[in-house]
Amino acid sequence: MSRAIGQFVEVAPCRWRLGKAADRAMTADAEVFATREILQQALDDGAIEQVVNVACLPGLAGSSLAMPDIHHGYGFCIGGVAAFPADGGIVLPGGVGYDINCGVRLLASSIPESEFAAVADAVGHALLARIPSGLTARGLRPLNKKEFQRLAAGGVGEVARRFGSDPGDMEFIESGGCLPFDAPGALGPRACERGAAQLGSLGSGNHFIEVQAVEEIFDPAAARVFGLEPGHVAVMIHTGSRGFGHQVASDYIETFRRRNLARLKLRDPQLVHAAIASSEGRNYLQALNAASNFAWANRQLIQEEVIAVLEEALAMGRRQLGLRLVYDQAHNIAKFEHHEVDGRALELLVHRKGATRAFGPGHPDLPSRYRGTGQPVILPGSMGSSSYVLRGTAAGTAAGTFFSSAHGAGRRLSRHQAIKLSAGEDVRERLRGQGVLVFSLSSQGLKEEIPEAYKDIDDVAAATVAAGISEKVARLRPLLVVKG
Amino acid sequence: MRNYETFSTTADTGIRFRGRGHAELYANALRGLNLLLFGRNPRLAKQKGTAIPFRFRGDGPENVLVNLLAAAVALAGQEGQQVTATDIRRADGCRLDALLLTAPCPRLPRIDVKAVTYHDLRVRERNGVLRAAVVLDI
Repeated sequence: MSRAIGQFVEVAPCRWRLGKAADRAMTADAEVFATREILQQALDDGAIEQVVNVACLPGLAGSSLAMPDIHHGYGFCIGGVAAFPADGGIVLPGGVGYDINCGVRLLASSIPESEFAAVADAVGHALLARIPSGLTARGLRPLNKKEFQRLAAGGVGEVARRFGSDPGDMEFIESGGCLPFDAPGALGPRACERGAAQLGSLGSGNHFIEVQAVEEIFDPAAARVFGLEPGHVAVMIHTGSRGFGHQVASDYIETFRRRNLARLKLRDPQLVHAAIASSEGRNYLQALNAASNFAWANRQLIQEEVIAVLEEALAMGRRQLGLRLVYDQAHNIAKFEHHEVDGRALELLVHRKGATRAFGPGHPDLPSRYRGTGQPVILPGSMGSSSYVLRGTAAGTAAGTFFSSAHGAGRRLSRHQAIKLSAGEDVRERLRGQGVLVFSLSSQGLKEEIPEAYKDIDDVAAATVAAGISEKVARLRPLLVVKG
Repeated sequence: MRNYETFSTTADTGIRFRGRGHAELYANALRGLNLLLFGRNPRLAKQKGTAIPFRFRGDGPENVLVNLLAAAVALAGQEGQQVTATDIRRADGCRLDALLLTAPCPRLPRIDVKAVTYHDLRVRERNGVLRAAVVLDI
């Protein structure tokens, strides 16, 4: 069905609502947090229809939501948020995506940009050589079956125990880097096999390690709390649960189909779902937690390798370099959270696919360090453009999103369009000219990820702030990118 | 439309294919995947390799297609094997019984296909020709 921008009402700045009366099958409103231009792009690429399809699902709490980086995905749009009551609600793997707990972590440092510049080239080569990336099946730390099961249950705690990473980091990881998992039978053998081989690998596509300089501070008090100082270096790591998460998602979509498809009325079969309380629903949530734990462990191990490379290059230890985890956030996940809907306090299963949690000041799930500022919200830009660090707010609008925010710039062009646009161009050289060193095993991958393939990150950040769902803290400029 | 071709969505990619009957539809799906992963299909005369049985019974042709393509993706990504041809014993709307003839991948796949999705997947029939489009998560 084609829809027009005129069907939406801008109920507040950058908050567009399509009432459920617009479509007979909708059980809830659809709300998109975006500028007019981003909304039009989402209409054009079919993402809005996906927000509407989610609004047709049974038992939705609040509205079917989309963040300012909205674009077309499979089933759910990317940038989509949907919550269902823990009591009597549904769970859908399509609302999480295949790369379960794909996410981003940010490290702050006291390394001056000028000192890093002297070793940047060596650091880039070392990161590319030491951290498995691209189409690799093997990670830094392959595990046997028993070790894998322990990691799936223990997450980052197991990495600290087994590989000696700093257990203090756990406080600065969403959910402490570990969600409850005690049902090994919920994991298929192939998922375990894929996961056991790939721990400590970056993957491909839009996954990256980026060294950045803190360029501009918008909120000095919050930046101080986050440890971000102008002119100092920061590190961003973007990856997920690798083949383990993909296999878990694929396995459970098949299970849900087998058990439920015949009695569901779905506009898109990718939105197949099950009752949270059903055996398949409970098992999926267990497997989802295991894959989430794996993803946090994966980012932790990559972080340790990045730190080792920086220590060697700058001949100083982690403490002297001031390297500290600011935060690690998931953007493909479903978690139980407490929210207020229409004046009622509810426990909800909040699905975020290409969307980030953004709790405001005072939230009890935040580490004490961030209770006054709100959660750090990491907003990576495209390769070659700035990234932002935002903070969650406690404003009413934010409550309407279940305290969610955008997860990145969001694609604007397909990969084919991006390759066509960059034909004959040396992407590495262009970015080098802009002061960004790029390291990748795949030239085609770089063309697919050119900055023009993404929305303007400044627009996404501005829409996020205008909509009242997060506040700007700092802008980071890329110095070096390792692409998967 | 050709018998098989690739296409892009904003974030992902996919293959479109058609066939006169389910056997041809499934075989062309695999050819489309080869085109996406390796840029072309292998020359049949040069094939050497092993035959891997694929038996699947599902709830419809969409279910068969996703599982068939997922098996071929796993062979390429995890085993380094490319499906070069299919020997189909039985194919209908709910089942496929075939031998997947494989050979070592000529090179690394051009893209990392992470999963085969059901997004908007529906096998449609027009003038005796079955058509489908599968979106792949990359």
